[in-house]
Amino acid sequence: MSLDAIPIHLIPPGEPGLTGNAPPLLHELLEMVNRLLASGETAAIDLSALPLTPADLDWLRERLGEGEIAVTLLANGESTLAETGCPGIWWVTHHNEQGVVTSQFLEVAFVPELVKAHPDDVALGRDHLESMMADL
Amino acid sequence: MQGPLIDTLARRGVTRRTFLKYCATLASMMALPPSVGRAMAEAMAAAKRPSVIWLPFQECTGCTESITRSHSPTIEGMIFDMVSLDYQETLMAAAGHQAEEARHAAMKENHGKYLLIVDGSIPLGIDGAYSCIGGRSNLDILKEAAEGAAAIVAMGSCASFGGIPKANPNPTGAVSVSDIVKDKPIVNIPGCPPIPVVMTGVLAHYLTFGSLPELDAQGRPKAFFGETIHDRCYRRPFYDQGKFAKTFDDEGARQGWCLFELGCKGPVTHNACATVKWNGGTSWPVESGHGCIGCSEPDFWDGGGFYKALSVPADPLKIGAAAAVAGAAAGVAVSFANRAKKKAAKAAHETTTLDDLEK
Repeated sequence: MSLDAIPIHLIPPGEPGLTGNAPPLLHELLEMVNRLLASGETAAIDLSALPLTPADLDWLRERLGEGEIAVTLLANGESTLAETGCPGIWWVTHHNEQGVVTSQFLEVAFVPELVKAHPDDVALGRDHLESMMADL
Repeated sequence: MQGPLIDTLARRGVTRRTFLKYCATLASMMALPPSVGRAMAEAMAAAKRPSVIWLPFQECTGCTESITRSHSPTIEGMIFDMVSLDYQETLMAAAGHQAEEARHAAMKENHGKYLLIVDGSIPLGIDGAYSCIGGRSNLDILKEAAEGAAAIVAMGSCASFGGIPKANPNPTGAVSVSDIVKDKPIVNIPGCPPIPVVMTGVLAHYLTFGSLPELDAQGRPKAFFGETIHDRCYRRPFYDQGKFAKTFDDEGARQGWCLFELGCKGPVTHNACATVKWNGGTSWPVESGHGCIGCSEPDFWDGGGFYKALSVPADPLKIGAAAAVAGAAAGVAVSFANRAKKKAAKAAHETTTLDDLEK
């Protein structure tokens, strides 16, 4: 029996470094965005937990594009929370103090969790404001 | 210090966002879903610090060094903010009877709830006389402390598997924690030394879920010990292509080829060095040009020589009990033979090669 009888066709490897693991993530993102619109439920994909090559990440970044807003967080190294070309999808990158990427997420939310101020911290801010005004 | 952790952190200048970011990364490293990062942060921020008793036995203090001198002190050092470290001989100010009293007070007050960390193996020879603290044997102290512990963390290869003290011919009769304590949950964090973030991860899991993380057959957290060094090694493609460094200074070594033939134990060693790295993500042994010595596996010291290539697919690190006893006797004979040979070589001004030492 010749190999031609077996209905399997080899797909030649595409662009170098691409594993084909990135496109399915777009479907997952679509589902997450639908849920965000329907119920306000937020979600995230841990990019460092998936077998993605740098080329895969570039492919994904290129497809999602750049949005209007990017937030820089300076806390134990720099973090960037950048909106992609699809509003509601944020590309979150955490660096450590040495500048090494420690983790990377795609977060689906109206505003990423880290950007919001915690009520306890707001209360501390109010106390500070009050004591500052008392000293005037 | 009392009160929730987040207040303690705030006093040290660690903001809530820094903590959230850290928890997100920690959850990612432990292969937990992103939502767990936030749950961890919330649980840990509100957690009352659990009492921790840290007992050092037959050890070199390398495990303590690894944790306390890790490169990002504000975060990994948080282990000491997350817990109420009630007894740690190397770090505590108290000494002598005061130190022993502090331990007893903490054990009584938190009976059934404290976390027990052990580093070092426990010698059983001559009724445990090889290692005593305050006139009591390690075995005695461990049994007493384990009785009231909620869970035990065996820190480093010595506490996990017996480590170097247990290496042939094991003169002190050293054993691991799990050889003695049978009725408590035990998590092994082997490594010589262990990776600091594994310790933090286990603590975070314990504080968030009130339980130890999922463990493998050797009692190690699967999140960090689930894969071999070889599986995650950046030099793996060279192994697949059959490109090996033959010596430490040949063209292959310069090209960064696979160190398998130079004795790398990566294929049989489960640890997270290849992904987490060391010294704040700076590098790790294979990246620095030396093969993995397999320090997080049982009996790694008796694995047959750090510079001898593994024979595939055999697993030389798994030695049967009978073979180990025979090996111990053979080990003594070989070491005497080598000593004699070294002496002879010195007298004759011959150079001793690596092969001679490993015969």
